[in-house]
Amino acid sequence: MLENIEKSHPADCFLYTDSVPSVWCPGCGIGTVINTFIQAVEKSSFSSDKVCVVSGMGCTGKVAEYLKFNSFNKIDGNLIEYAAKLKLQNSDRKIVVFSNNADFLISGAKDLVEIGEKGIELLVIHVNNIIYTITEYKAIPTTPFMRASADKNFELPFNIPHLAKECGATYVARWTPLRAGWLMYSMIDSLSKRGFSVIEVISPCLMYYPDSKRIGDAAELMKFYDDNSVIKHGELTEDLDIRVHNRIILGKFVDKK
Amino acid sequence: MKAEVHIIKERCKGCGICIEICQASVLEISEELNTNGYHPPVAKNPEACINCGMCEMFCPDFAIWVTVVKEADVNV
Repeated sequence: MLENIEKSHPADCFLYTDSVPSVWCPGCGIGTVINTFIQAVEKSSFSSDKVCVVSGMGCTGKVAEYLKFNSFNKIDGNLIEYAAKLKLQNSDRKIVVFSNNADFLISGAKDLVEIGEKGIELLVIHVNNIIYTITEYKAIPTTPFMRASADKNFELPFNIPHLAKECGATYVARWTPLRAGWLMYSMIDSLSKRGFSVIEVISPCLMYYPDSKRIGDAAELMKFYDDNSVIKHGELTEDLDIRVHNRIILGKFVDKK
Repeated sequence: MKAEVHIIKERCKGCGICIEICQASVLEISEELNTNGYHPPVAKNPEACINCGMCEMFCPDFAIWVTVVKEADVNV
């Protein structure tokens, strides 16, 4: 026991260590995203007091409680608008927004369109778990085709990289948590951009995902997502829907100077 | 070059990603329980570790990391 206290993880200087282990399910992709984000901040030239983290509601809302950056938690939806106000007041700081489906599409889509057109310098890391966790089995804009709706609601899934590109984002990429090395270099790239940049992380929900009884536990589910994805850099953003019979396309799609 | 695996057992939540991702098959689920009731991993053959750092990069709860042991320390 005494040996464990003396040892310390190299990322402990960026964490509130009292709150580790985290509240998320064992093996949740949000933990890997945070781990990758800390490594990206370490490797880029930012000091930790020049980075602000803004998080919203739901599972990704807990991110602000673990990271030792200047951070706040906005729970009623207008997340990107408040991050843009924070950026306008502190022009020397880098603002990073952690959002999920509820913040980014359902109640914050208007802000996204306005702020993307103005070109305010923000980095949005969108954790897409394909399901709207709070309301369990209701269909939402990112539900895959013919899946996961109790009311047999058939809709085409929403294409987030295409929306971000049309709003004028300067950097758009998409990864899964098991491609953490690629994700880290994407974050280092987009931290140095002077415009609006969006990174989508497709991470499985372990709690409410309706197929989880068929696929297995956390490591197997992550591996299932990783096997069914393929890397294609510079693919046209019109073709990036998540359909049932196609593979998930990962990569870096937009990179403007 | 020798590498050493460090594990904080009280932080582990037993997801098994480090065991799945390890290329040299160093890690294994142990029999013992921590205070939260999970089985943390244990290094069954630490000589095979090649210091790739994959387990450190993927761990969601900051429980495992790898360091390099200098050869001067090994000889002493």
